[in-house]
Amino acid sequence: MTSPADVLYADNPAWADVTPLPQYEGVNPLAPILYTEEYKDATDYFRGIVKTGEKSPRVLELTEKIIRLNPAHYSAWQYRFETLKAVKVPLEDELKLMDELAVKYLKTYQVWHHRRLLLTESYNLEPKRELEFIAKSLKADTKNYHTWSYRQWLLAFVNDGELWVGELDFVEEMLNEDLRNNSAWHHRFFVVWLGGGGGGMGVGGTREEKERVLRRELTFTKQLISLAPNNPSAWNYLRGVLDRTETPYGLILPFVRLYIVNLSDRAGSTDIVDVENPPPSEGAQLPCTAALEFTADAYERQGDDEGRKKAVELWKVLANEQDTIRKRYWEFRIRGVEKKVGA
Amino acid sequence: MTLPRATPVDGFPTHTSRVQAETEEILFKHHPDPLSNNNATPGSSSLGAASTPTSSSSSTQGKPADSDGGPALQKQLHMSFLVRNMVQGFPARYISQDASQPWLMFWTLQAFSILQVGLDPGNKQRAIDTVMSWQHPDGGFGGGPGQRPHLLPTYASVCALAVVGRPGPGGGWDQIDRQKLYRFFMSVKQPDGSFLVAKDAEVDVRGTYCLLVVATLLGILTPELIEGTPEFIASCQTYEGGFASASQPSYSPGPNPTLLEFPRPPLGEAHGGYTFCALASWVLLQPFLEAGYKGAHSSKPPTIDLNNTLRWLVQMQGTEIELGGFKGRTNKLVDGCYSWWVGGAFALLEVFGIGASSEEIGSQNQPSKDEKLDDGWDDVDDSLLNRKALQEYILWAGQHPAGGLRDKPPKHADAYHTQYCLAGLSAAQHHVYPSVSREQALAQAWVETEPFEPDLGHPGLSQEQRKTIFAKALCWKEEEGASKCVGGAKNRVNASHPVFDLTITHSQGIMAHFYGQDLERLRGPAAKPTAA
Repeated sequence: MTSPADVLYADNPAWADVTPLPQYEGVNPLAPILYTEEYKDATDYFRGIVKTGEKSPRVLELTEKIIRLNPAHYSAWQYRFETLKAVKVPLEDELKLMDELAVKYLKTYQVWHHRRLLLTESYNLEPKRELEFIAKSLKADTKNYHTWSYRQWLLAFVNDGELWVGELDFVEEMLNEDLRNNSAWHHRFFVVWLGGGGGGMGVGGTREEKERVLRRELTFTKQLISLAPNNPSAWNYLRGVLDRTETPYGLILPFVRLYIVNLSDRAGSTDIVDVENPPPSEGAQLPCTAALEFTADAYERQGDDEGRKKAVELWKVLANEQDTIRKRYWEFRIRGVEKKVGA
Repeated sequence: MTLPRATPVDGFPTHTSRVQAETEEILFKHHPDPLSNNNATPGSSSLGAASTPTSSSSSTQGKPADSDGGPALQKQLHMSFLVRNMVQGFPARYISQDASQPWLMFWTLQAFSILQVGLDPGNKQRAIDTVMSWQHPDGGFGGGPGQRPHLLPTYASVCALAVVGRPGPGGGWDQIDRQKLYRFFMSVKQPDGSFLVAKDAEVDVRGTYCLLVVATLLGILTPELIEGTPEFIASCQTYEGGFASASQPSYSPGPNPTLLEFPRPPLGEAHGGYTFCALASWVLLQPFLEAGYKGAHSSKPPTIDLNNTLRWLVQMQGTEIELGGFKGRTNKLVDGCYSWWVGGAFALLEVFGIGASSEEIGSQNQPSKDEKLDDGWDDVDDSLLNRKALQEYILWAGQHPAGGLRDKPPKHADAYHTQYCLAGLSAAQHHVYPSVSREQALAQAWVETEPFEPDLGHPGLSQEQRKTIFAKALCWKEEEGASKCVGGAKNRVNASHPVFDLTITHSQGIMAHFYGQDLERLRGPAAKPTAA
């Protein structure tokens, strides 16, 4: 039944009973695509099949052919899924084919969504195997949006305590590779604070437990900031954690202050080791704009005139020296508090 | 002028910082300042293991400069690129977009519109006939003839018809089957207020945006259709402030889904394209949210953190060394298409009082502001993004020397980037804002007409709701005299509707038809018709 790849369906006796359907009839299309013969042939036969509604094993072959030529052909995917259900092919076999296609066409929505449909259909599919497959795919494309969202969906869908447990190690592995990988930071937030079907792993428990997780996350984030301070992903995570737990920004200022001074200003102070507040690395380029911004936000949140005045000073530094491309925004922040000063 | 500062690596290079440094090196060669061009590598000391400069014919030569050294928008070259695609067709590598034929059409037509060019009647008719061949017998539009209905090509098809269509036989507008379209929309709706983009396909906010735009333009936006949708949009906001593609479905799988109690975490990180779609959706939902939408499944209406969204949008702008282009995610590279998805999103915040028009730009305050060109940015520019830098990125780096626009050098131009770079340029040149007085004028001029009644057994819209949706959608107004064009007035392009990505004129035309309002009366003396 399988036909050699180079034989057109039009020349294949096994398909002689299908009437191919040309794409445009009675229309001289504007802005058309100049198709290859192979693609035109396959999609003409696909349209013919859709018209008759045939759902048979050879339709799986045809849709696979189209998908390999154009993995974004969502109608071929859709029809394939309906056919799979109709002919009752073992979904495990389909998943194996998808292992190949997912790696080949990593950047298309459909390869990942099709996997999701398969897993939703059949609980027998092994989620652990799936997580390993995703991990392998992410090695090849460390910021692939679809792959990361698929992993997050899978974790929340299966919602198995054992699966959640391994995720922190996985994130740390990814961040060890590249601590600027924002997808990995987002995944950490997802796992720690949002996952687990409510409350997040480790965060759903007692108050002590919540505080332990908060401390762990702050320590972890500060550590990575100290290695490479000019990393917006780490600062955004820090802010996200503080916002989520309603922790005042001011509590972190002893740490953040270390990142707004110049290297020369902190000579001699480095021999005091404070594990809570790891100092910037040797190579750090200071002052760090994210630290300036954070400090200003912390001052503003004090809610008094003194804090607002200190915040304005920092925003001026950002607007005029350190982050001039965003001058308008920093001036907007200044206007926002100046209305309040002395009021 | 001092050398722009390279993004700090802190002596700790990783994959992200390496590709960032390589990109900065290439972009730097497109920097307008001749002083900087004499230096081979920008801030080389901090680049660490930067590779040798990439040799690329397009990166060092063919800068789109004028005789006076300013950047020029190569309108003729881009026109040729668009005409070639439209008339001769797209080369075979576009087979990967065979399921996006409506998009190829929309990008091409809308790029023409932004460039202030209209089609001749013959090609207009061909465009209409092509678009109508994508309408599915069950309603909605597919990615090509015989393809299944899908929310994204439905947006592209209807917006293409907004550009080239007309009322009456063969004009496209009256051949849109709104009853079937509405049924298609309801058929992809999920119990938690989200929408599948097509049967058995994924949920994401692009689909929600596309659906809301089409339903707004065609007058079929009903409370039933959007019940739960605000909650879905809100659930896609991430801790960074931007929005993700989707959130975890909050209903059980299977044939009889029930809503689940636990929270709906966003799936994926904050992203420029999704953030635009989510924010624009939030704007399109305002007629319901402002009228006391209670929330489908909880007692209090959903909210989003707009200050955090603003912070995220602002952080996406690249620094001077990246020529002020926009990124789509934290720690990713600048890309011309985010000129619109992120650069264009700032106008949406003005609906919520954030940004330039938080006080209505009064006719009393600035009676006759001269058109400001290169100089005088600081005097008049109240916007929160760096409009000047964004234009520079598009003009210096976004234009391909052979025509068309692109992600970044040395990449090829394509239909997608051509349209979104031009749309971004439009957003950066003009200040289009939601005018309260225009909204009031539209509401006052409202004439009661027969509403769309869905044949699914639930009611359509009241006159009041239709009037509000209509007036809010068309209240956008270009601030007179506030256009600022890097490179001078010859680079000027048309203003765009910040929500629809159509010209203001085309938005008015199609909506006036579907809401039964008199177009000429609506435009009035205040709205300046743009050529297209």
